[in-house]
Amino acid sequence: MRYYETLYLINPDLAEEDYQSVSKKFVDIVGRHSGEVIEVQDWGRRPLAYDVKKFDKASFVLLRFCGENRVPEELQREMRLDDRVLKYQTVKLGEDADPEALRRQAEEARTKSQETPKSEAEEESGEGEE
Amino acid sequence: MAFNRERGRFKRTFHRRKVCRFCADSSLVIDYKDVKTLRHFTTERGKITPRRISGNCAKHQRMLTVAIKQARNIALLPYTTSTLR
Repeated sequence: MRYYETLYLINPDLAEEDYQSVSKKFVDIVGRHSGEVIEVQDWGRRPLAYDVKKFDKASFVLLRFCGENRVPEELQREMRLDDRVLKYQTVKLGEDADPEALRRQAEEARTKSQETPKSEAEEESGEGEE
Repeated sequence: MAFNRERGRFKRTFHRRKVCRFCADSSLVIDYKDVKTLRHFTTERGKITPRRISGNCAKHQRMLTVAIKQARNIALLPYTTSTLR
């Protein structure tokens, strides 16, 4: 099993429930192709460095998953077809991954980042607006 | 005369020792999602700073350019700032 992450941008004008359904749709797709979802990070609405499909803002979602090569293939095909996704990028993080260990790592990282409040994220978005 | 010599000497010794930041601190990881760190290695116009300026080692500069290009692709970093809104 390989370890991948996909960062994708969703149309910022979507209603909250549509937004959730998009995120859920891709999680389901990973599951359907016997992949394992490690974690989903919702970065919220952020300014873009340049306009994408006439939008200067977008909702960022980071999806980490394990699976064979057909999982990212299928995921990207679906994203290409879905109008609500503005842009996506998949990066391979490793070979021969162990989903259980990775999930535990992700959990640890999350509790750690919660201890240090999210001022970092705010600063970042502020920089982008300049 | 003495003044000139002084100045000449100053010029010759003008260089500072640059160390690769990522080699010096192994806890720093190069990640395309970490916009804040990547921005240190781009100019105001969004260009990647050359190695002779940033002082990075070849290995880390290579990883850095890949990361910056990935960040550009997903609109976290600009390709150029000439299209400012």
